[in-house]
Amino acid sequence: MNHKSTRYLPLIVTVGQVVIFPYYIIWLKEVSLTFTLFAWFFAAFSFAAAWGYRIAQSRKKKDRSYIAIIYAGMGIVYVSIGGIKYSSDILPYVVLLLQVILGLLQGYFRAWHAEQDTYHLHTVHHYLIVGCAMIGFSFVKIISPVVFITTFGILMCMCAVWTLVIHEKEEVVIPRK
Amino acid sequence: MQTIAHLVKKPWFLGSLVVIFVSVILWNIPIEKRKYGLSQSGLVTDYTGLLPERIERVVRAENRSDLQRIVRQANVNGQQIAIAGLQHSQGGHTYYKNGVVLDMRTFNRILEIDELQKTVRVEAGATWEDVQEAIQPIGLALKVTQSQSIFTIGGSLSVNAHGRDIRFGSMAETVKAMTIITPEGESKTVTREDPDEWMKYIFGGYGLFGVIVDVTVELTENQLYTIQTEKLKMSAYASYFDRLLNDQHTAMHYARVSVAPNSFLDEMYVINYNHTEKQDFTTRLKKEQSVRLTKLALDIGRHGGALENLFWGTQKRYIASLNGKEITRNNAMRSESTFMEYTKPGRVEVLQEFFVPVHGFEAYMKDLKNVIPVNDKHDDFKIHNITIRYAATDQFTTLNYAKEDMFGLVVLMQHGLKEEQISEATSLIQNWTNLTLDHGGTYYLPYYRYQTKEQFRRSYPQWNTFADEKLRRDPHNVFQNMFYDYYVK
Repeated sequence: MNHKSTRYLPLIVTVGQVVIFPYYIIWLKEVSLTFTLFAWFFAAFSFAAAWGYRIAQSRKKKDRSYIAIIYAGMGIVYVSIGGIKYSSDILPYVVLLLQVILGLLQGYFRAWHAEQDTYHLHTVHHYLIVGCAMIGFSFVKIISPVVFITTFGILMCMCAVWTLVIHEKEEVVIPRK
Repeated sequence: MQTIAHLVKKPWFLGSLVVIFVSVILWNIPIEKRKYGLSQSGLVTDYTGLLPERIERVVRAENRSDLQRIVRQANVNGQQIAIAGLQHSQGGHTYYKNGVVLDMRTFNRILEIDELQKTVRVEAGATWEDVQEAIQPIGLALKVTQSQSIFTIGGSLSVNAHGRDIRFGSMAETVKAMTIITPEGESKTVTREDPDEWMKYIFGGYGLFGVIVDVTVELTENQLYTIQTEKLKMSAYASYFDRLLNDQHTAMHYARVSVAPNSFLDEMYVINYNHTEKQDFTTRLKKEQSVRLTKLALDIGRHGGALENLFWGTQKRYIASLNGKEITRNNAMRSESTFMEYTKPGRVEVLQEFFVPVHGFEAYMKDLKNVIPVNDKHDDFKIHNITIRYAATDQFTTLNYAKEDMFGLVVLMQHGLKEEQISEATSLIQNWTNLTLDHGGTYYLPYYRYQTKEQFRRSYPQWNTFADEKLRRDPHNVFQNMFYDYYVK
């Protein structure tokens, strides 16, 4: 996390997650057969997030974060949502799996983010940017929530690639002692 | 409290919590029901959704005089009325273009149970399940009903349904009396001795001769049966059934035929319900059980090919496990239905039923192999299941499908909704119908109209009498539906 550009990636991710949340809710409501199931999907997400958070806190090597994999994982989940067929018989089962994966990754990410020096600064910026972004989005007509979710997924994958590239460069430039 | 706080710090504990909770959700994800019926938008479909049609409005009568008023008004105003219950028929029998749909579901009361005479008087919009709930505590059961109890009384009688009972004839034969509203709006109570022969036309009349308001149905003891299952070769079935019919030990019976590639139309198993002479008062009516597992098994079989072989193997093991178990008559008459729900957009699952004379069964099944594909894995048109039931001779109704003792082959099939897919399905079903007619058989009318008008007329030679009688009794053509409009008019 020494590279300047990677310092802003967690802010992009955390802002993106909140901004995309209303669209994600709309999508989840569409694919849930009943309100009970909709609520249970969220509960599964929440439990998985607690699990992910604890996994991140319990890791032995604090210098190894796997954060690029976390970004990539979240990106793949959001992109997958764009590719899901509504007509699939197994849709609720797939959604449940995605909810658990997403919860796990988000919990892990949050725990990792809280350990960073920039966390408190990011939190303030996060709220301000989210506020502005939501005002901006209020003027955008929703064609399909899936479009926004997929776009964010692609952005997440780009963050993962960027993190990996910078990490490789740092390893080349600063030889380990 | 401290223990919980300590456990929450352990990733394995939280992981276990997620796994357990996810398992609970997986078990409780509801099975999606197909959406059909009377909508507020003025568009109506029945169970398959294949024949959507715009109607004028849906009316619900408050009471009998209200029913009469609606019918009389239709005579005066030149309106058309179609009668609907739960709309499980699949060929537009419950609605008519720009017509009024009379929703009978408000007439759902059990009016009277006569324990001495063993009869129940029930309104036509009630389901057989409603009847079962009322008569089970007093140790009684229906004489004849369909395999499932989800249909309305009026609907079942209007399609002249049959069931698994091999002793009491057709469902219509168990009706002692009924109250109807005639096409002119008159309320009549009729019996089998009625000189005007209303029953002859109301049963299997598809709601074209009047409204069934209530019926008095004969009952029998809610006996305890022993389930007996057996695997058979197709070629042995006709003689096996002949012995079964002559041996008074069996009360109910049905069979299932393999449509899996490895045993296609060769293997079958039979399920018999044998008398124990014990009457049951205490066993509760069973609810749907293991719906998810059964649906999963059927969903696997729906793919055809090797997976259909697997499904057939699973079915055989399950049926073998039932051998020797006991079941009440009421519970044998309420099979599960939710597992069959199929809601894939762009595709439809429908039923067809073909009747073939008992004596010609073996030859028919041999020829059938040349009509339907052994392995439909890569075909759009797929056959998932064939169940065989016995239908005793019925000379009472006009559109009678059992002109002699017949086996009914109930077929569950699936196809796409594109024009070419429907026409491919239509062509195959028409070939199947021709084969059935060539073997002296018929097909059942409450399903989608794949058959040609010529095939309808060959199957039901009395259709002319039916049409003439319809015009005589309903001169203003008050009672109409899509089926009548297409085949009879």
